[in-house]
Amino acid sequence: MNLQYSGEERIPVSPDVVWAFVTDPDKVGHCMPEVIDVTVQDPTHVEAVVQVAVGPVRGKFKLKVELQPDPARRRIDLKISGGGFGSAVDMTAGADVVDAGDGTTILKWSGQAVARGPVAAVGGRVLDAQAQKLITQAFGNVRQQLSLAT
Amino acid sequence: MSTEPKSAGCLGVAMKRKEDPRFIQGKGHYVDDISMPGMLFLSLVRSPYPHAEIKSIDISEAMQVPGVKAVITGKDLEAAGLGWLPTFHGLDKQMVLAIGKVLFQYQEVAAVFAETRAAAVDGAEAVQVDYAPLPVVADPFTAKTDEVILRPDRENKTNHIYHWEVGDKDKTATALANSPKRIKERIWFQRCHPAPLEPCGCVAHFDSMGRLQFYVTSQAPHVYRTALAIVTGIPEDKIHVVSPDLGGGFGNKVPVYPGYVCAIVGALKIGRPVKWIETRTENLTSTGFARDYHMDVEIGATADGRLTALHVATTADHGAFDAAADPTKYPAGMFGVVTGSYDFPVAHAEVDAYFTNKAPGGIAYRCSFRVTEASYAIERAMDILADELAIDPVELRRKNFVRKEQFPYPSVLGFTYDSGDYQKTLDVTLEKIGYQALLKEQVEKRARGELMGIGFSTFTEVVGAGPSKHFDILGIKMFDSAEIRIHPTGSGIVRTGTKSQGQGHETTWAQIVGEELGLDPQNIMVEEGDTDTAPYGLGTYASRSTPVAGAAIAMAARRVREKARKVAAHMLEVGEADVEWKDYKFQVKGVPAKSVTMKEVAFAAYTNMAQNEPGLEASYYYDPPNMTFPSGAYVAVVDIDRETGEVKVRRFLAVDDCGTIINPLVVEGQIHGGLTEGFAIAFMQEIQYDKEGNNLNTNFTDYLIPTSLETPAWETGKTVTPSPHHPIGAKGVGESPNVGSPAAFVNAVIDALSPLGVRHIDMPITRDKVWRAIRQAEVLTT
Repeated sequence: MNLQYSGEERIPVSPDVVWAFVTDPDKVGHCMPEVIDVTVQDPTHVEAVVQVAVGPVRGKFKLKVELQPDPARRRIDLKISGGGFGSAVDMTAGADVVDAGDGTTILKWSGQAVARGPVAAVGGRVLDAQAQKLITQAFGNVRQQLSLAT
Repeated sequence: MSTEPKSAGCLGVAMKRKEDPRFIQGKGHYVDDISMPGMLFLSLVRSPYPHAEIKSIDISEAMQVPGVKAVITGKDLEAAGLGWLPTFHGLDKQMVLAIGKVLFQYQEVAAVFAETRAAAVDGAEAVQVDYAPLPVVADPFTAKTDEVILRPDRENKTNHIYHWEVGDKDKTATALANSPKRIKERIWFQRCHPAPLEPCGCVAHFDSMGRLQFYVTSQAPHVYRTALAIVTGIPEDKIHVVSPDLGGGFGNKVPVYPGYVCAIVGALKIGRPVKWIETRTENLTSTGFARDYHMDVEIGATADGRLTALHVATTADHGAFDAAADPTKYPAGMFGVVTGSYDFPVAHAEVDAYFTNKAPGGIAYRCSFRVTEASYAIERAMDILADELAIDPVELRRKNFVRKEQFPYPSVLGFTYDSGDYQKTLDVTLEKIGYQALLKEQVEKRARGELMGIGFSTFTEVVGAGPSKHFDILGIKMFDSAEIRIHPTGSGIVRTGTKSQGQGHETTWAQIVGEELGLDPQNIMVEEGDTDTAPYGLGTYASRSTPVAGAAIAMAARRVREKARKVAAHMLEVGEADVEWKDYKFQVKGVPAKSVTMKEVAFAAYTNMAQNEPGLEASYYYDPPNMTFPSGAYVAVVDIDRETGEVKVRRFLAVDDCGTIINPLVVEGQIHGGLTEGFAIAFMQEIQYDKEGNNLNTNFTDYLIPTSLETPAWETGKTVTPSPHHPIGAKGVGESPNVGSPAAFVNAVIDALSPLGVRHIDMPITRDKVWRAIRQAEVLTT
């Protein structure tokens, strides 16, 4: 099941602060919704265990996240893969870090995911809305964390 | 209807099923009821990907799960020479556990053995498999392009598995070209699943003698024994297969599945018994599916409706492995029966099968191999032709039926139909349903804009595989067997190579023995499913039990009777030639008062046998001379809610001709069950895959099983045209209702919608499909 999402967050900090946050694997890992555990492997790799509940399908997903920062510090891409309870998910997400010119930053994000297994089959009817909610929540967490830091 | 044995004979008596008290009191004994000291549990790691390279499998975390004793992978099995197992027709092989890559979602990847079922599941969850996704081929039409080759392990680097054809291609093409009327329609029989309420499972145990004791949900225990000997190298005498009570099979329990092999390997490796019971999802997603035939049907006819030619070209989706459990010489099964009940002067049928990234299968789900697909194709096409010709579909059928005097009838596609009286069966159906009154009602309702449909299916099956010159599985000819022992007090036991999954063998087999020997069937025990005691047979599927094993029972009983005749002659103090079997007892010819019963003879066979060999038993291996050809005339009456698209099956009448009826109560039960499954297929069931290869029907909330709330009230009737070559004239019936009913349901729905210009809707005919068809028709007419 192919899923595609996009959105944006206005964050009340400068692009440099945002950039430092979104390239920190530990911070990125902890922005995942329903996260249970985060283990940083190296500066661009992190493993996270998250609680997943899509319709009647519930369990833990173990996800591998690879951060792919743009050398120009304008875009961060994430490659996320993993799964659990017989399901698998492969996601790519990316965000443009845009200077709003007023000391704030706009994070324009988009993502796509392919879900397989029970999470796609059993949760199929509600997966799209649920995934939209989770990915929105993930970038919302980025905004919230950075807002709290100001 | 009498429910007690007749004083003279047992055939045609509606005896209550002897096995039912056991089942309805919860005293059945199933594989999952078996428990052994030290028994481990197996859980399988399955792939979430439909097509992916396996880059690595890490079992270290799984081995840390409390209770986990061992984990094996495809590489482990490959190293032991057990990486692949042959599919039943011997033309392909199937991975036991994935080696190198996975080919369908839910494919078996690793096996985890643990002290408890929960620990095994936890261990399976902890196995880390690193997959690299590959392009997915989710339908046979994409497979045809060969842009992605799914099975590089095979010699021919193509997704095309086989081309099969029968009939005269050129003559058919010419006849079609010259036909005043031609119709052509793509008719898809969707992928569906037998979904027995008891899923598959086994317990494997090597006893103190090193002998494999294998308890398994099998419709064909002897074939399993032989297949396991071939796959594992264990000598066949060191394998004991027991198939206890089965909670349904419907063809799903014919193939040998990877879980069975893993359980045996685990039991051997760890030295403890291993139980494997699959979950509902595992059953629906990885075991034998049925159908998935895309059939391009073309019929030629004269302007007044005389059939001139039939051509059917089928594209078959076989999934990742060619595991269709068809006889070796029949890769498309008995699809050649696609001419149905009709006297086509020429025909041609061809099937091309393809690999896809879907679960393997193509089993005979409550039908003789591929007969349901064939029956559905011709019965739907006949209605489409009738619509095009503006002829009553009943009259079109009647005009083209094979006539009674044409039997034995050689069809143009190679079968010799044994017997039938299609006109008579149809007449009974029309009379019982009140066809003329229904037509009148339909006219009135159509005038009011109401949607009412009447749909017929006048099908012919081919069952009872089969004659050894044509039929085998893994090279083993498709005979069947019976062994009868009559005890001194006149009771007895019959053992066969078949295995009941609800067909009522414990009753009907006893009735055949009772009929042939004049004994009380209540005191004839039936035992099946134990390869140490039952004679070798090919099992129960494809409606072969009564045509083949039922015949073997009758023939074995007649051998018992011949032996008993010698004892009777001694008892009656006459020569053997002076003894005749009459009125269910031995009597001196011309002196009926001087007689002995079989019960008396049985006692004498052990106490007063004179020079005769003691005992009273016989066995028979029956090689049928031909298949049998049950037939039926079914009619469905439906009403459709124009606003919601809901179809209400108001009436359904099934008139079957299955030859001699052994037990009308059992036949009635079989028909009710088969009609309910046919109803589910027509309106509810489909194993769907999305274009990424995700199976979308993995449990009973998405793959629907009808309950008593949805199931219509069935009406039944019968005609009896015995099979001339079967010892008691029986043809088999268990699968007829599943074969014949889908077309009647669909024909009724299309008949209801025909005033709107709807020509065809593929099954399952769900409410939304009907609603869309109605709305689309309204758009076109406004």
